Amino acid sequence: MNAVSQAAVSRLAGKAESRAWPWRGLLLPLVLLAVWQAWGTAAGSVRTPMPTRVLMAAVDLVGSGDLPWGIAQSLGRVFLGFTVAALIAIPLGLAMGSSRAIERNVDPLVESFRPIAAIAILPLAILWLGTGTAAAVMIVAYAAFFPIAINTIAGTKRIDPTLLRAAATMGLGRLATLRTVVVPGALPAIGVGLRIGMGVAWTAIVAAELAVGAKAGGGGSGGIGQMMFVFYAYSIELNRIVVCMIAVGLVALALDRLLRAGMRGLMPWAAP
Amino acid sequence: MSAAGPSQGANSSPSGGSAAAQAASVGVHPAAKLRLEGVGKRFDVAGAAQTVAVADFTLDVAQGEFLVIVGPSGCGKTTILNVLAGLDRPSDGTVKIDGRPIHGPGPERGVMFQDYALFPWRTVWGNVEFGLRYGPAAKGLDSLARQQRVRSYIDLVGLAGSEGKYPHQLSGGMRQRVALARLIANEPDVLLLDEPLAALDAQTRLILQDELLRIWGQDRPPVQRRTVVFITHAIDEAVFLADRVAVMTTHPGRLKALIDIDLPRPRNDATRALPKFQALSQHIWSLIRDEAYRATVT
Repeated sequence: MNAVSQAAVSRLAGKAESRAWPWRGLLLPLVLLAVWQAWGTAAGSVRTPMPTRVLMAAVDLVGSGDLPWGIAQSLGRVFLGFTVAALIAIPLGLAMGSSRAIERNVDPLVESFRPIAAIAILPLAILWLGTGTAAAVMIVAYAAFFPIAINTIAGTKRIDPTLLRAAATMGLGRLATLRTVVVPGALPAIGVGLRIGMGVAWTAIVAAELAVGAKAGGGGSGGIGQMMFVFYAYSIELNRIVVCMIAVGLVALALDRLLRAGMRGLMPWAAP
Repeated sequence: MSAAGPSQGANSSPSGGSAAAQAASVGVHPAAKLRLEGVGKRFDVAGAAQTVAVADFTLDVAQGEFLVIVGPSGCGKTTILNVLAGLDRPSDGTVKIDGRPIHGPGPERGVMFQDYALFPWRTVWGNVEFGLRYGPAAKGLDSLARQQRVRSYIDLVGLAGSEGKYPHQLSGGMRQRVALARLIANEPDVLLLDEPLAALDAQTRLILQDELLRIWGQDRPPVQRRTVVFITHAIDEAVFLADRVAVMTTHPGRLKALIDIDLPRPRNDATRALPKFQALSQHIWSLIRDEAYRATVT
């Protein structure tokens, strides 16, 4: 009762705040855009990126279908790699979180790979899998694996032991307890892991496509990272690179919001 | 069996007079449903000497008996309950159910935890339904029978209309009622209850005391009753419910006295007005008063 009304109060306060803020919040970005435009105009080069040119490049890229197609290709790889990561990381994390023995054996392995950045395994990925989708998916899966696994482990360990005891006194076996107590109990933490994992997966795909693009010499592997590489190394169109950067940011935001909404739907009990 | 108990007042023999009296009334010798023999429990405390929670605790609980444990905070009441539930192993001694050693938890011994242990991701309905759906009770219970049972226990604890709410949307008293409904929906032989009514307001508490006696089976002959071990701080509650009250003392937790509550059954509001009810409450209070004061003052 109390918690509910408190939440309502803070939500109301948040609403009042956000009603006053948009205008003040937009002030600084608008000033920065104006400064940028002035600087671009003063620089005098046709290649110097500035807001008006970026806008035109954006209209171009979206209109031609290049940008949507690039994003679609990259997203496809992200979803594939992300799914592979989740399918490995969640069961492994549940096992590591609920069994001390498994954790003791697997944890050193996980922790010794974790500091190796996803992009650092790119050379191996390219040598083994070539410059196509398979290599990109591997990089994405590798990157997304760690946040998902580590959050799943933490969430599994944080489950209130009384709940496990309650299940035991109702005669539930290990497997039934895993399904009915451990998984739902760890779900909020798994959700956080998935969100972080999705973020790094998207970051990794852009980096991987940039690098694969370099190796493939602008060849046909596609994706938004590759587009950026082409604009950088061949056509030298800085405005288009900026468009791609903005698109990358917007897609990341949309992905996170989507996942968050999905999680909320999946966990109606969790306080908003 | 009403008023068949031998004498009022303290009786420190482990085989309780009232249990024996119950058995006499149906002509069967009472089998000890639960037996604690020389049970001790020590906890390792990091960087300190071992803490002795319970020492040398011996007690039989007869089939169909309603045993209430009272005692000051920290006397090891919950430890005894956990040992009976199979959630804690005793450091010394043995614990048995129906003559067999207890090695772990089992669905025949239902537990109501002090902090309710409700599943936050399940609604009121989902919590009450839990054991019937995922436990061994699920076998031989079709979904219609399950729904009827859940329905009746939710109604019983007065939560009709709140079936779809999650625990975090409920008050403490409502959560406690959900936990109670979840426990009794499983219909275990032995009910182990750790201060199950503590968070309730006075009226709800009185109503649920009556309900608890009904669920236990006070209208049935003793052999058909469930066996209950019930922990409480409230002495009047103990006297109202119990066949016997076990009074515990602290540092370490020991059994101080066993008191037969030979008030007539079925018990109701009139019971509370009996002079004997008052006398028994006074007597139990006199046994724990000094320690309770000490625990409060220091």
